[in-house]
Amino acid sequence: MIDSVVQQLAWVQNPVVVARQLLAGVSNGMLLFLISAGLSLIFGVLRIINFAHGVLFMFGAFLAVSLVGLAPGTTGGFVSALIGASAGLAVLGALLEIGLLRRIYRSPHEYQLLLTFALVFILGDVAKLIWGREDNSVVTPQLLTGSTHAFGVTFPTYRLFLIAVGVAVAVALWLVLHRTRWGIFVRAATMDRGMLSALGVNTRWLFTAVFALGAALAGLGGALAAPIVAVGPGLHVQVIIDAFVVVVIGGMGSVLGALAASLLVGVVNAFGILAVPGAAVVLTFAIMAVVLIVRPHGLFGTPE
Amino acid sequence: MIRLAVPALILLGLPFALSEFWTFIAIEVLAFALYAVSFNVLLGYGGMLSFGHAAFFGVGGYAAAILMKKAGLPAGLAFALVPLAALAVSAAVAVLIGFLSVHRSGIYFAMLTFAFQMLLYTVALKATGITGGDDGMTGLKPPGALGRAFYYYYFALALVAPALYVLYRLVSSPFGITLRALRANPRRVQYVGVNVRAHQLATFVISAAFAGLAGALFALSSGNVFPGWLNWTASATPIVMAVLGGVHTFLGPALGAAVYVVLEVLISGRTEYWPLAMGVIIVALVLLMPEGLTGFTRRKDA
Amino acid sequence: MNILRVEGLTKRFGGLEALGGVDLSIAKGDFRAIIGPNGAGKSTFFNTITGLLRPDAGRVLFEGRDVTGQPPHLLARHGVGRTFQITSVFHDLNALENVQVALLAHARQSWSAWPKAGALHAARARELLALVGLSTSAGRIAGTLAHGDQKRLELAIALAGEPRLLLLDEPTAGMAAQERLESIRLVHRVARELGLSCVFTEHDMAVVFAVATHITVLHQGRVLAEGTPAEVRSRREVQQVYLGEAA
Repeated sequence: MIDSVVQQLAWVQNPVVVARQLLAGVSNGMLLFLISAGLSLIFGVLRIINFAHGVLFMFGAFLAVSLVGLAPGTTGGFVSALIGASAGLAVLGALLEIGLLRRIYRSPHEYQLLLTFALVFILGDVAKLIWGREDNSVVTPQLLTGSTHAFGVTFPTYRLFLIAVGVAVAVALWLVLHRTRWGIFVRAATMDRGMLSALGVNTRWLFTAVFALGAALAGLGGALAAPIVAVGPGLHVQVIIDAFVVVVIGGMGSVLGALAASLLVGVVNAFGILAVPGAAVVLTFAIMAVVLIVRPHGLFGTPE
Repeated sequence: MIRLAVPALILLGLPFALSEFWTFIAIEVLAFALYAVSFNVLLGYGGMLSFGHAAFFGVGGYAAAILMKKAGLPAGLAFALVPLAALAVSAAVAVLIGFLSVHRSGIYFAMLTFAFQMLLYTVALKATGITGGDDGMTGLKPPGALGRAFYYYYFALALVAPALYVLYRLVSSPFGITLRALRANPRRVQYVGVNVRAHQLATFVISAAFAGLAGALFALSSGNVFPGWLNWTASATPIVMAVLGGVHTFLGPALGAAVYVVLEVLISGRTEYWPLAMGVIIVALVLLMPEGLTGFTRRKDA
Repeated sequence: MNILRVEGLTKRFGGLEALGGVDLSIAKGDFRAIIGPNGAGKSTFFNTITGLLRPDAGRVLFEGRDVTGQPPHLLARHGVGRTFQITSVFHDLNALENVQVALLAHARQSWSAWPKAGALHAARARELLALVGLSTSAGRIAGTLAHGDQKRLELAIALAGEPRLLLLDEPTAGMAAQERLESIRLVHRVARELGLSCVFTEHDMAVVFAVATHITVLHQGRVLAEGTPAEVRSRREVQQVYLGEAA
């Protein structure tokens, strides 16, 4: 039995495999970051657990399918897909917040939960109605196909691109949250909403903007994920779970936490699949439970 | 007592009036009514929102299935043990999960129960040897005449009615009134001498046990159980039924369950977009009728 | 015999020392006022002796028995009752049920799962409501009662546990001046009738001097002065720190 375990872990010796898995883990982590950053901010500011976040991600992916489909393989088509998905989801997010979410901020938790669940059901079926029930694929833009050599190893270029985008978004978010007035309000809101409105800040539009931003990030994540996943109606089901795990571990309301936890989960999953295929999934839930029991505000969240 | 006579007669007479298909639906209603009412003991009376209650419904279903198919017992004996097994296994799992979860309150409690449900879902999905994995377990058939909907209905009624009565006595008892006080003011209730965590744990376990019984009943009636019963999408079901019926009355959730099940049958029969319909109904419920169907008969002290 | 003895009670919150070694003794039958400016540590003191907070150092002895750090529900069973600064009742139960819950807990029946709770201890609950002047409100939902009535209900709930020591955190908070005197006199009368010892925190000196047998002055987490009202009133430190500010 020891032999088979040793065999299972033989890859550890192989730096190429390790490097590849690390890259895969980090790039997946970046996608996860895009979804969970939004989810975390939405919880931090609006105090709502947005179960519909996975569907928003999926909408981004489907939008990318449609937009790239207009000019497949080209850079222009791809860029327009990224912009279209982000902007489109920002608009959808704003509409949902204004039309529905606003009404239940003061309701007991079970009503908030039901509403976001309802959105999952509704939007999930709307996606089926618009884009059908089959899996779609998105062609990777010419510019980003193939591999790149670095450190004696070949990596898929697209994955490197994902990491670059992830870093860029993380930096941009940090700049917005720490260097703009709006960003400071957002961070203050995650700590004390009541104080903020007492200071005369228009919290209504702040909430709308935060939700729209979260949705836009999810949409961007979906569009970026489109070339490497099967874009079908079942896409959102697993995504939201991963996002929850990340947000809990990282700390609800913390973007830095979302980044740290996404990378952690991404890398653990990447290596977990090699080492103990079935257990990686159980492991992530176990970690989630442990965090909630021991330190519910996560690694970087603010204690209530 | 007289007030119960009419509904009791209706319940007893239903299988004579309904087709076999609709008797199956009636059985489903009974199971889900128990599920919803026991869930509401935790939510409406205890003020504890669990995002992971479907775990217990599923555990009960799997307990029944494993007992019938994997325990190597004669069908009759296995079947006779199912209710007790479902109660016991669900309660045991709930003791573990509850013990770890009730220390937290509000949203963290909800997320914890959710995490544990996902854990159990993964187990159901991966432990292929015991649980049949992705395919679930099928071909569950009650022995003899009970395999027919007509007779199984009475079997289900014979379990659900007393179970509901037990829960009713529970919420009307000192335990129940203390639970309501706990929901109203957890800090204050400590100061009168109540051990809040212990009380919450007990409520959690009882609620889970009866949810498990409901799951077992449904598994044997529908003939199968799947990992999907424990997937996160299923955790909304008891909440929808309870809120739809009204969380402020004891039997409100039972009405919610009946409406929910019947709506599902009618709508799924006509379109594949039942989720869309359900989503719209939920939105309407939350925005327009948050007190649920029995909202007009709110308990005076709710 | 001292019904309550506190020795060297210390509680820190991060860098802030809320209680810096408080020593206190309450004799049986005492009606003790604890006064001090805001931030002096009065609520922290109550929360720490009643187990809501764990002290960093020191001991709490109730009737000679060490109860330091025991959780509130155990302390309640030993015979310590408490009311809260911000009225704390079971807002969606009616007044009678509020008291019944406390009586059931006191009778160790909170776990009784079969009998119907409605009739249990109803008579005794009505007695307690009458004692605090709430007879006519028995059927009213607690959350709908006027502020002063909610405070009375809180008192009834606390009394249901047959405490021998009653801790009242700002029992007259939120009331108009006249109501405050009436309210504290009610508590004083009930305490005398039932032979209870009381410790209460208070800001209003008129209230304190009306009923207190002894006064303890807290300042910055320590006991500044202690004694009968006349003694305390004349102490210069007290005048400087507290009475001087209020005068």
